[in-house]
Amino acid sequence: MKRWKNRRQSGILLALGLTGIMALSACGGETTVGGGASSAPASSAAGSEAASPEAPAGDFPTPNGGELNLYNWTDYISPDLLKRFESETGITVNLDNFDSNETMLAKLQAGGANYDVIVPSDYMVAQMIELGLLQEVDPASFPNGQYIKPEFMDVYFDPGRKYSAPYMYGTTGIAYDPTKTGGEITSWAAFFDANSPAAGKIGTLNDQVEVIHAALRATGAQPCSTNREDYVKVEELLAGWKPGVAVINSDGVIGRMASGEQTMHMMWNGAFTRAQADNPNLQYVYPAEGITLWSDNFAVPVGAQNVDNAKIFINWMMDPANIGEATNFVGYDNGITGSSEFMTADLGANPAVVIPDEFKALAAPVPGCSVEAIDLYDQVWTNFKK
Amino acid sequence: MAATEASALSIRNVSKAFPTPEGGEVKALDDVSLDVADGSFMVLLGPSGCGKTTLLRCIAGLESPDSGEIDLKGTRIDDVPVWKRRVNTVFQSYALFPHMTVTQNVAFGLQMDKLPKGEIAQKVDRSLELVRLTGLGGRRPSQLSGGQQQRVALARALAKEPEVLLLDEPLSALDLKLRRGMQLELKRLQQETHITFVLVTHDQDEAMSMGDRVAVFNEGRIVQVGEPREVYLRPRTRFVADFIGEANIVDVITEGGGAAITGWGAIPGESWAADSPAIGDGRRVAAVRPEDVMLTAGGDGRFPIIDATFIGGDLHAVVQVGDMTLAARQPAADATGLSTGGRCDVAFRAGSLRIVED
Amino acid sequence: MARRSTSGRAGQGTWWAGLPGLAYLVALVLAPLVIIVIFSFLSRAKLGVGVKWEFTVQPYVELFYSESLSGERSFDPTYLQIFFNSVVYSLITALVCLVLSIPIALWIATRPPKWRTLLVFLVTIPFWTSLLIRTYAFVIILNDNGPINGALTGLGILSEPIPMLYTPFATIVGLVYSFLPFMILPIYASAERFDFRLAEAAYDLGATKGRVLMRIVLPAVRPGIIAGLILVFIPALGSFLAPELLGGGKTSMIANVIAAQFGASRNWPFGAALSVMVLVIVMLALVAFAVVARRSSRRGSQQSLESLL
Repeated sequence: MKRWKNRRQSGILLALGLTGIMALSACGGETTVGGGASSAPASSAAGSEAASPEAPAGDFPTPNGGELNLYNWTDYISPDLLKRFESETGITVNLDNFDSNETMLAKLQAGGANYDVIVPSDYMVAQMIELGLLQEVDPASFPNGQYIKPEFMDVYFDPGRKYSAPYMYGTTGIAYDPTKTGGEITSWAAFFDANSPAAGKIGTLNDQVEVIHAALRATGAQPCSTNREDYVKVEELLAGWKPGVAVINSDGVIGRMASGEQTMHMMWNGAFTRAQADNPNLQYVYPAEGITLWSDNFAVPVGAQNVDNAKIFINWMMDPANIGEATNFVGYDNGITGSSEFMTADLGANPAVVIPDEFKALAAPVPGCSVEAIDLYDQVWTNFKK
Repeated sequence: MAATEASALSIRNVSKAFPTPEGGEVKALDDVSLDVADGSFMVLLGPSGCGKTTLLRCIAGLESPDSGEIDLKGTRIDDVPVWKRRVNTVFQSYALFPHMTVTQNVAFGLQMDKLPKGEIAQKVDRSLELVRLTGLGGRRPSQLSGGQQQRVALARALAKEPEVLLLDEPLSALDLKLRRGMQLELKRLQQETHITFVLVTHDQDEAMSMGDRVAVFNEGRIVQVGEPREVYLRPRTRFVADFIGEANIVDVITEGGGAAITGWGAIPGESWAADSPAIGDGRRVAAVRPEDVMLTAGGDGRFPIIDATFIGGDLHAVVQVGDMTLAARQPAADATGLSTGGRCDVAFRAGSLRIVED
Repeated sequence: MARRSTSGRAGQGTWWAGLPGLAYLVALVLAPLVIIVIFSFLSRAKLGVGVKWEFTVQPYVELFYSESLSGERSFDPTYLQIFFNSVVYSLITALVCLVLSIPIALWIATRPPKWRTLLVFLVTIPFWTSLLIRTYAFVIILNDNGPINGALTGLGILSEPIPMLYTPFATIVGLVYSFLPFMILPIYASAERFDFRLAEAAYDLGATKGRVLMRIVLPAVRPGIIAGLILVFIPALGSFLAPELLGGGKTSMIANVIAAQFGASRNWPFGAALSVMVLVIVMLALVAFAVVARRSSRRGSQQSLESLL
C-alpha cells in the first residue's frame, strides 16, 4: 500500500489528462531490468543453495527461458535482485510500475495489459478475486510455500493463499519528536488533539483512507464504519485539528521529519526508519486504538501469458534469502519465515520494522471498505480539504 | 547669432552624435545654430542622413542634444520633458493611434492637457474643419485614404495650438498630385493659424514652394539659410548650388588678373554675378545654371554636342568643353541647328557665373 | 477589408495538409472529451473502479446535493466552493502574471533584435525541466529552512523564519511561476509588433509615461494580454501540483478532487461530472473573454467591426 521511494500521488496522470495540463516527469513506464545499484548484501550463494534442494517437487514447472512481465509499485524491488533472478533462471524480466492500487486495477480492467505477476495490496486482492481478475495458482502449494509465516497464511483477503503470496507488510502509525512535544504520544486521540503541543508542526499523509481510518479509531469507532453518527464526530475532530496541520502530503515525509521541519507526522514505518537514520530523536508510535497493518502480495492476473514463469518467480521470491534481500532494499518486513537471518542487523532489530510482541495485537489488517463507507470517507475528506 | 525678439525658436550650437554598430560615432548634428522667426514657415532641406530630422526630434524633445541650447519663445526647453513642450509634430508615418477614431486621435492631446470636455469637443471640431475632415470623426485611421490620414495627423497636432509645429517629411508618402495639393494646403494652414511651421524635406521643389526661409543641411551642418529665391540664386557652396536646382560646376583659374575656364578661355567680366565673391588667386570653382549656358549652332563651332533632347518646349543639351561637360537648356525657338553630334559655340549669360565654396 | 480577401484564400490548394492535425485533434482531444461526457452520465461500477453502462444523472445531482452526515438530503455548496476557490486562485494567478509580464514583455520588445532572441529564449528555459521538479524546487526555496528564510534570518532582518511553504501564498507563487511564460510570450509577440513611433507621438501630444502605457501601449498589446489571460487562467484552473505540494494539500482545487474520484474515492462518474463542470467553466470564461474583447473593440469602431464580419 505504501512505498517510500519515489512515490507519486495516485491519479496525477488521470487528473492531468482530464483537466488538460501537460508536463510531468515519468511515473513508471516499461523498463527491462538491468543496471542500477543497490546496497543489498550479497546472499545469493546461500539463497540458491537453500532453494535448490527443495526445487521441482511434483509438477512444479522448471525454468525454460522466456519472459516475465512484472507490474509492481514504483521502486519496490531491488534491481540487483531481479538481475540475479534473471541469471539464475534464464528468464527475462520486464518491469512496469504503478502508483496506486486503483491505477493498477483500472489498467487491468481496461484489458489489453499483458502482465504475468502483479503486486496488489490486501484489500485489493480480495476485490480482484471477487471481480474474477486473479488466477487460482495456489502459491501455498509451491515448493517455497512452506515458508509463509503462519499469520500470513489464513488472511482475510485470501484464506489458504489460493491466489496470492505474501511480499512486504508494514504499518501506518505516528512519528514524532518527543524532545519537542515535551511528552509522550501514544494514541490517535493525541495525534488528532486540537491542543496538541505539536500544533502548527503537524503533517499527515494525503490519504483519505488512512487518515479517516485513524480518525474513526480516535473517536472510538471502527474503520469502514457505515454509521453516519460516527462521521459526525470524525468531521468535528478533523475540523478542530485542521488549524494545527501544516501539511497534508504523502511526498517528502522523510525529509520533513528528518530535518525537524514538522514535529509529528502520520507515517509509514518503512519511511520512518529512513527518517530516523538522520534524526535519532524520532519515535514511532503504535497507537493504542489500533493501527492498520497492510500487506502487499504477488498474484497472477487472468490472461497472463507466462503462467509458468510467474509461478517460478513467485516461488523464487518466497525463498527466505531472496525476500530477505528484498527487505534490505525496501526497508519493510516480509511475510516469509526465516528471512530475518538474511536481513541487515539494524533492520531486524528496529521496532518500527519488526512489530514488537506487545504491539502485535494492535496491528490488524483492515478489509477494504464498502462503497457506502468509501462515499462517506470521500465526503468527510473533501470537506476537510476544502 | 543672437535670438531676436521675434524668434519663435532659437537653436544655438546644438550637437548630437549617435554610436555606430561598429563602435564608432556619427555626428548627426555638428554645432548647428538657427533662428526661426515667429509665425514663419521654415523648411529644413537636405539629403537623407544630413541631420535635419535629428534636429526636428531635438526640438520636439524625442532626442536630447549632446550640447547646445534650444529656446522656445525665449525659454530654454532642451531640458524640458517632451510632454511639457508647447511643440507638436506631424510624423512622417503620421503615427495615428489605430485603436482610436479620428475624433479620439485629435482629442488625445487635449485630454492630456486635462481641458474640459466641452472645450475639447469644440477644439476637435475646429481642427477637423481646418483640415476639411468634418464628418469623418467617427472613422478609424485604417478607413481613411493616405491624404485623409495626413490631415488627421495635422489636425491632431494643430488642435494643441502649439508655439511651433514640426512636420517631418509630411508629404513623402503621398503621390505627386496629392503632394502638390497638400503643399498649398499646408501653406494656407500656416497662414491661417499664424503658427510657426518647421518642415523637414529632402525635396527641393517642396522647400522652394512652401518655405518662407530654407535651411540647407549637409553632413550635420547648416550650409546656408535664406529665402528660397536667394538660396537658389546665390548658392554659397558647391553643395547648395548642386542640390537646389541644377548647376554646372566649372573649374576657374586665375590668369593674368582675369579668370579663365580651361578649354574655353578667358571669362568676360560681365559674365560674373555682381555680388559673386571675388575669385582671388589660384583654382576656384564657379557655378552656372544650365539655362544661363547659351549655345549657338554652327558647323565650325568649337565644341561637340554630346546629347541634345527636346523636353517640352526646351532643348536639353550636353556639350563637351575641354575635360568637362556642360549642361545647357534653352527655349526650343532659340535652338535651331543644335543636334546630337553637331557642334556649337558656348557663352555664359551676363551676371550668371558665381564663385562658390568647394 | 483587405484581410478578408486573403484569409479565405490562404492554403486553399492544400486543404488535405490539415488532415493529420485534424485526425490528431479528433482522436486525442475530442475523443477523450466525449468519453468523459459519456462517463458522467453512467453509474458506478461494482466496487467503484470503472463505470457501469446504466444511464443516470446522479453524478450531476451529487455536485449540488448531498445527504448530510445526519442523514438529510439538502443543497451542499462544498463542490461549488471548491470550484470557486479554483477560479479565485486562477484569476489571482492570471492577474499577477499579467502585472509581472507587461514590463518584462515591453522591456524585451524594446531591446535590439539580437538581444530579444536571447531573452525570449531565456524566458522559455523553465520548460526544459518538468513542472513536477520545478514545483519541488519551490518546496525547497520557500521552506522555513530554505534560502529566503535563511538569508532573512541570517542577515538579522527576521528573528524567526516566516512560514511561507504550505500557505495559499506558496500556491500562488508556484502557479505564477509555472504559468508566467504563457503570459510573457503572447504579450511580447504583440509588443514586438507595436510601432513605438506611436508612443513617441503620444509623448509629443503631452502624454506622460504612465498615460502612454495605459492609453497607447496597452490597447495595442491587448490581443497578447487576452491570449495570455486565457493561456494562464485555463491551465491554472486545472492545477494539481501547486496546491498539493506548495499549498500543503489544505485547500483543494478542482483537479485534486477529480484525481481523488478516480483514485481512493472510487467514483468515476462523479469525477467525470466534475471534469465536465471544469469544461463548462472554461467555456464560460472563454465566452466572457470574447465578449469583453469584442465590446472594447467595438467602442467607437462600429464600422470597422462591420467590415470585418
